[in-house]
Amino acid sequence: MNKKDLKVIAFLAYKNIVKSKSTFLVIIAVMAMSFLSITFFAAIIDGLGYEFEEGMIEGLTGHLMIEPTKDNLYLENVDTLVKNIKRIPGVVGVAPRLESSVIAKYKNTEMGVPVFFINPQDEIKVSNFHESILLGDYLSEKDGNELIIGADLVQSYAQEDDTQKRLNINVGDTIKLSLSNGFVDEYKVKGIFKTGSKFSDDKILLNYGEYNKIFHTDDVASKILIKLPERGSEDYYKQKIIDLGVSDQINPWQTKMGAVKQFVGSLQITNKITGFIGLLTAFATIYIIIFINVTNKRKQIGILKAIGIKKEIILGSYVLQSIMYGVVGVIVGNLVMQGLLVLLTLHPLAMPIGDVIPILTTERLITTSVTLIFASIIAGFFPSRKAANDNILDAIFGG
Amino acid sequence: MTKEIQKNKILLASQKSKISKIIINAKNLERVYFNGVIKTYALKNISLNIKEGEFVAIMGPSGSGKSTLLHQLGLLDIPTKGTILIDNKDVVNLSDGERTKFRLKKLGYVFQSYNLIPELTALENVYITPMAQGITTEEYKKKARDILKKVGLGDRINHYPSELSGGQQQRVSIARALVNKPQILFADEPTANLDSDSSRETVKLFRQLNKEIGQTIVMVTHELEEGKKADRIIWVKDGILDVDKK
Repeated sequence: MNKKDLKVIAFLAYKNIVKSKSTFLVIIAVMAMSFLSITFFAAIIDGLGYEFEEGMIEGLTGHLMIEPTKDNLYLENVDTLVKNIKRIPGVVGVAPRLESSVIAKYKNTEMGVPVFFINPQDEIKVSNFHESILLGDYLSEKDGNELIIGADLVQSYAQEDDTQKRLNINVGDTIKLSLSNGFVDEYKVKGIFKTGSKFSDDKILLNYGEYNKIFHTDDVASKILIKLPERGSEDYYKQKIIDLGVSDQINPWQTKMGAVKQFVGSLQITNKITGFIGLLTAFATIYIIIFINVTNKRKQIGILKAIGIKKEIILGSYVLQSIMYGVVGVIVGNLVMQGLLVLLTLHPLAMPIGDVIPILTTERLITTSVTLIFASIIAGFFPSRKAANDNILDAIFGG
Repeated sequence: MTKEIQKNKILLASQKSKISKIIINAKNLERVYFNGVIKTYALKNISLNIKEGEFVAIMGPSGSGKSTLLHQLGLLDIPTKGTILIDNKDVVNLSDGERTKFRLKKLGYVFQSYNLIPELTALENVYITPMAQGITTEEYKKKARDILKKVGLGDRINHYPSELSGGQQQRVSIARALVNKPQILFADEPTANLDSDSSRETVKLFRQLNKEIGQTIVMVTHELEEGKKADRIIWVKDGILDVDKK
């Protein structure tokens, strides 16, 4: 293969493409649709998984969570520890929490509910409760006998066919809370929140000081949640916290996912299987379309051979066309996908777990692009090699 | 006047010396098609010579093997038995790549159904083979333009085959066959798809090329009138050389 051969290859490929625009456009459309069908569904699943994890991070774990060692019920000297961690450059927020459970009673309905005792100002930097208020207001430091409650505990926010027990309350109503140490008091509903995460919306939030009042504790916490600038920096900040002399458990969010980890893991496996099947389907579709296209050009391939055009040139021109189909199809598919991602970032998909933004990972983008381009090259290579190897007379006269 | 006569004498002498050289020498050609155990002889024991500068017509009834003979001589097919020498070169035993190169450089083809590449214009259809030979863009475009002018299509060079009449397409096909100045031009029933005017024009063009530039032409036809325009007619019947006469 030399320069003059490459010139003829490029010339024949170019002429075939520009003169058969409709074929070119159909193949590009199929390539682009194949790209979309593989990446879009996968991106939704990835977005869904991300949303589940984010729900846990925003509501329950932060990026890092400091917990007492096995033998201790509480973290101690929390005020100092929180101040020190806040001083670490890059840390977005630090929020101590105390956890308990209560029996909540409103009129004739009584149910066990987990409770977080939070520091409202610290929580603003760590969790999303403050921006998830549906009705009423978020807690303030001064609130004593006031609480905010998750929408999943409120009757008026239940789905029609949901028979789970809920409190038929509204903002301004008063709920009686009974705690494990026998403490009973009435709390006014200040607000109702809905974060979209099932792990957060079934909680009642009270002020941090209430716990100390009820359990007579001081400067303790059940856990400290730490918000970092981004996922992936957990190890770096964990080391920084260890360097402060913290001997308690410092756990990254991944270790706290539990059922979510299993669920997201299952989603990812499903995603891999459907992605693989999608790639196979796209491969087969593209192969068939290019195969038919090349087979229809069998006579021309025979003519070119008859007039003295080398087999390698003919083969090269069809492979080059296939590369063009692959590359342009993937680029078009990619552009449409990026457009959809922008659109769905501005207007996320409303799903029962919350708003989901599709996520297209670089790995998936590369795998899909390379596979589709590879499929189109294979699809162009084999039938055109067969046609180029055919007997000239059979190719021209259809033997 | 004397100069003119002398010039004509020299031209005639060069034509005669050309005609004396054998360009195609085929011996005991046999082409057999196998269908399971059944053998069908398309050509049987054919031997012939064609001289350089000759215009030869191969004629015979349908299915007689005339096109098969042309395909063997034109390196589009390989005979089951026998030898073919073109310009003293054994072309039967050439490799696939060598045959392709030989066709590109030494032979030209005109087919019954024109067989132009639909995606290429008349000019592009003609310059694709000189382009493959590696000459400069200016050169191959000039060569193609010149030959298209010669066949009377100077004003149709940028038309696609679908925009040309059958006769015009056949002339493009002739231009494509001639652009590399082939030693031999093979034409397989070149007028079969043309109306009588275009047929006459095509054969006239062959005759003209043969006379003017001494082009060796081997043409398959089933029209006796066209055959009579050639220097010689080779008759084929049932795959056997029937008559070979001037």
